[in-house]
Amino acid sequence: MALLEVENLQTHFRTPDGVNRAVDGVSFHVNAGETVAIVGESGCGKSVTSMSILRLIPEPPGKIAGAIRFEGRDLLKLSDREMRDIRGNEISMIFQEPMTSLNPVLTVGRQIGETLRLHQGLSRQQAEEKAVEMLTLVGIPEPRRRVREYPHQLSGGMRQRVMIAIALACNPKLLIADEPTTALDVTIQAQILELMRDLKHRVGAAIVLITHDLGVVAEVAERVIVMYAGKKVEEAAVGPLFNNPKHPYTQGLLGSMPKLGSSLHGDETRLAEIPGLVPSLKAKIPGCVFASRCPHATDLCRQVAPALEEKAPGHVAACHYATKEGAIAA
Amino acid sequence: MFAYVVRRVLATIPVMALVALFVFSLLYIAPGDPAAVIAGDQATPQDVERIRASLGLDRPYLVRFGAWVWGILNGDMGTSIFTNLPVTTMIAQRIEPTLSLMVLTLILAVSIAVPMGVLAAWKQGTLIDRAVMGFAVLGFSVPVFVVGYLLAYVFALELDWLPVQGYTAFSNGFFPWLENLILPSVALGGVYIALIARITRATMLEVLQQDYIRTARAKGAGQSSILFLHALKNAAVPIVTVIGIGIALLIGGAVVTESVFAIPGLGRLTVDAILRRDYPVIQGVVLLFSFVYVLVNLLIDLAYTLFDPRIRY
Repeated sequence: MALLEVENLQTHFRTPDGVNRAVDGVSFHVNAGETVAIVGESGCGKSVTSMSILRLIPEPPGKIAGAIRFEGRDLLKLSDREMRDIRGNEISMIFQEPMTSLNPVLTVGRQIGETLRLHQGLSRQQAEEKAVEMLTLVGIPEPRRRVREYPHQLSGGMRQRVMIAIALACNPKLLIADEPTTALDVTIQAQILELMRDLKHRVGAAIVLITHDLGVVAEVAERVIVMYAGKKVEEAAVGPLFNNPKHPYTQGLLGSMPKLGSSLHGDETRLAEIPGLVPSLKAKIPGCVFASRCPHATDLCRQVAPALEEKAPGHVAACHYATKEGAIAA
Repeated sequence: MFAYVVRRVLATIPVMALVALFVFSLLYIAPGDPAAVIAGDQATPQDVERIRASLGLDRPYLVRFGAWVWGILNGDMGTSIFTNLPVTTMIAQRIEPTLSLMVLTLILAVSIAVPMGVLAAWKQGTLIDRAVMGFAVLGFSVPVFVVGYLLAYVFALELDWLPVQGYTAFSNGFFPWLENLILPSVALGGVYIALIARITRATMLEVLQQDYIRTARAKGAGQSSILFLHALKNAAVPIVTVIGIGIALLIGGAVVTESVFAIPGLGRLTVDAILRRDYPVIQGVVLLFSFVYVLVNLLIDLAYTLFDPRIRY
């Protein structure tokens, strides 16, 4: 049994001008100890997917439907009380904005300790001891001093380390990291990724990594889910996905990535781009969600939504024309 | 921190000096002659002139101001021209009811208004929120004396739960003291509650949108911990500021409230002194109120550091 099974997840938001289908029928699973990346451009629903798992979507205006089974229990059926026991304990989360994700008026130690006191019933003193331990673990120098400091006294990278310390304090089975490195300097990004990989091995947690940075995906993920306009369009192990992308959107994403060593002269100086914009999620799209931007789209694509099909073992894509052999003939 | 406190305390001196000058000048230019009031209807112009000279009112403006300030610096606020008692004695006699009323109102207002505002922000857009906001508008728009008479009518006259008016000293026991102060405090607190509840709601709404609130939820923190620890502590600075500014409302309102409920406090003393042109008393009381206001706001500025570690003096 998979650690996490998301089945037909639909997270919709009621807005004054119609329902926004931010996530529209997404299914995937995460095995224990596995790192799964969810990629896609801004507004594709990847963050909403991750927040839906922990039910952090404000309801109303949001509404989560489908099933999110964690160790067989459907999280959507739990009471608020039961859900609180899971948050930060069995499933924890790291956010994109380390500068604003920590409470500015509470000490770092208190914020790490809060999780421990909530879920492990530690006393204030024990929690502080453990917080010092966690700070050491995430590589913050002088943890005894830092534990009494406030977030504004730490740099962005250190704050993200604190966030990781909070997330891992209770040894969660699943860690959801929503763009954990996007807001950081490139050098710090590498350090944080290294730290996450290192800790993952130590704690043994599975990771769901939300990102739009394909470089990060290649580095840490084992399996990749590509989302577009609230839907999953492709899923494969990281190797096949990068080497043999089936969906035109994935191909476009990979094509828009600069390659090291590519020539600055000649015909290939321009990065490929995907023309057009993500469609509005408020209107039901009859055909393929990517049809309006796809270079290969036909009338069939515009009228009939393609189902997710296994194009190769363990490699699914939602495209009428993706063949079993490889990319569609371009 | 210590240097800051010293600087702030020193900064109150020019403020108080300005207040003193203003109060003094206001009475100087105000119509009505204290000497004529004391002399009464039957007095001859010579009598009035004699009284004026005995009060020192015939001296030039600056000399009188100087003498008054010098007296205050030596702990002498002058003598009432009506009772012939030192102003300091009169204030001392009247300060307990007013202080009791203000402190009780402050406690009552803060302990009602802050949870009300938090609740309204949490339940934004619901019936609870609208009820709180509706109450706030009502609190702002209905004057203290209307609320006061209404409360006295319902709870004292009709239901007979509480005394209609008067004051019982604290030394006569806590409950008799409290009994007499409940209605005045509620009446006086209306505007104050409205003000604090509104600002609490507005600030909390902003804070609840912040990323760290989402982090707290993701950690599994309960609703009350999110509202009262994570959010309220971040919202504290504006709320505390408004509580401080609102002290001015309390001072103004106390004068009216004491009249409505016949409480022998500083407010009544002020009104009586104004009616009698008892200028040393007016000056003394107004100066005292200003001093309290300045002092409270200094304390509030210092309290900021308790709530927000980013603020350092």
